[in-house]
Amino acid sequence: MLRFRESSSGKEATSIHFTVDGQTYLAYAGDTIASALYAAGKRAWRHSHAGDPRGLLCGIGHCFDCLVTVNGVPNVRACQTVVEPGMVVTTNLREE
Amino acid sequence: MDEKIDVVVVGGGPAGLNAALSAAQMGAEVLLLDAYPAPGGQYYRQPPQHLADHPTPHQRQGRQLWQEALASGVKIRSNVTVWYGDAEKTLIYHSNQGSIALHAKAIILACGTFERPVAFPGWTLPGVLMTGGAQTLLYHGVLPGRRVLLSGSGPLQLVVAKKLLEAGAEVVAVLEGSSRLLRRGMRHFAGVWGQWERLGEGLSSLATLMGRRVPYRFGWGIVAAHGEQQVERATIARYDEHWRPIPGSEEQVACDTICIGFGFVPFTTLGKLMGVKHIWSGDWNMEIPERDETMQTNVSGVFAVGDGAGLGGARLSILEGQIAGIAAAHQIGYGGTRAVAALQKLAPKVRRERAFQKMYTDLFAPGKGLFELAKEDTVICRCEGITLEQIRRARAMGASSISEVKAITRAGMGECQGRMCGLHINHILAQWTNKTPAEVGLNPARPPVFPLPIQALLLEQES
Repeated sequence: MLRFRESSSGKEATSIHFTVDGQTYLAYAGDTIASALYAAGKRAWRHSHAGDPRGLLCGIGHCFDCLVTVNGVPNVRACQTVVEPGMVVTTNLREE
Repeated sequence: MDEKIDVVVVGGGPAGLNAALSAAQMGAEVLLLDAYPAPGGQYYRQPPQHLADHPTPHQRQGRQLWQEALASGVKIRSNVTVWYGDAEKTLIYHSNQGSIALHAKAIILACGTFERPVAFPGWTLPGVLMTGGAQTLLYHGVLPGRRVLLSGSGPLQLVVAKKLLEAGAEVVAVLEGSSRLLRRGMRHFAGVWGQWERLGEGLSSLATLMGRRVPYRFGWGIVAAHGEQQVERATIARYDEHWRPIPGSEEQVACDTICIGFGFVPFTTLGKLMGVKHIWSGDWNMEIPERDETMQTNVSGVFAVGDGAGLGGARLSILEGQIAGIAAAHQIGYGGTRAVAALQKLAPKVRRERAFQKMYTDLFAPGKGLFELAKEDTVICRCEGITLEQIRRARAMGASSISEVKAITRAGMGECQGRMCGLHINHILAQWTNKTPAEVGLNPARPPVFPLPIQALLLEQES
């Protein structure tokens, strides 16, 4: 796990579950899809047109390299989208 | 129904928040539109809920400013995308409620920046991310990786390296592309110390790095990233004074993450769409809007402020925001002599801050060698997967402008709308055609300024 700080004052953080390609992931309130995936050690969640793996690049919404489908809506930026309970995320990542 | 409003501010960072507050304090009705869940921009970025109990000084300042703006009557709409603007001062933004058109008497653009993309072999590998992107993960209490190499320029690198160390990551090295600090540095250092907030923070981070024996190497930088599915290794080298890797100086470094932080590029598309005249800044190799001393552009009633109008850091952004806020309110009939007096007081402060901006530019402006790292098979346009070789073939077919390269190769046609590849293609075309970067130019601005779902283009008819 790459999460180095769970909460700022020992107070229990609100944990949220969501799925990515059918697999359940944990997020904390305020996490973006990208930060929750990075926390789980997942750094590639997309294949480019040419087929190479991609994930986060700019992290602030400008590069559009982190696109996922959220609750059926395509081309959503993982770095700008705050996780909500039960969110269903799908990627275009092909089977490895 | 469309909305009519006195002053609309686009962007909620240091410049935008101050512009909104100042205009409201002069009596204008102000609406601030911001792309993020909470105002603050990158500089005052607020922590997620579970980490909100111990805010940093920046986060506290940002929150205070935001509260002050609200108390002065500023209306803030977060999580919105402004995707259209014109010289008649009409803006259209999209939110989850659809698209809304606004008609403003004055508009203040405080659109901020993104980090300068640098195309080098392996830069599309997961694990290569921009330093600011790594910083946003750290804000969420998440490490970008375990063994991190930082390559770039300027003090932000040091700040992020320190945060990485404190979070438990191993920092393999911090590579500073510029060796100007060493060659003519200490005089500059003394002038900038304590005045330039971020540089000051960078220097205090340096002490932490030294204590942990992290190598901080001047005149060094990235050459290539290697790995199968993600970053496993980097090639680094000594850079010459133009930031070209010196052959024979290469070293291999094991790492799982590479943070690239070669400075920032103003986000100018909205201003260009509105008819704002932009000039080419040779120092920084980018376009910036032309402005008068009140931050007003050539389009009457349209102002541009902050790093999105020319890189100057938070202090200059704050001052520019205040000036534009007051000037915009004054122009449409608010503030009277109080506004004039306030503007007179701010003018010398801006001049002082611009002097520091000049010093900073001298030290950290990127060298042209950064554009020469790409090999023939290196992807330049990440969205469409277009390589340098494909762009070279387009040139051989006669392409001499960004638009022609785009038409032949699709480079710049993807979701990022050319933000990631535009400056690189500009540079190589300028070289190949013996033109200046200003003559080559960048992609013309067209709506929508950001990609949108098609439903967003349908304007709401009911308010």
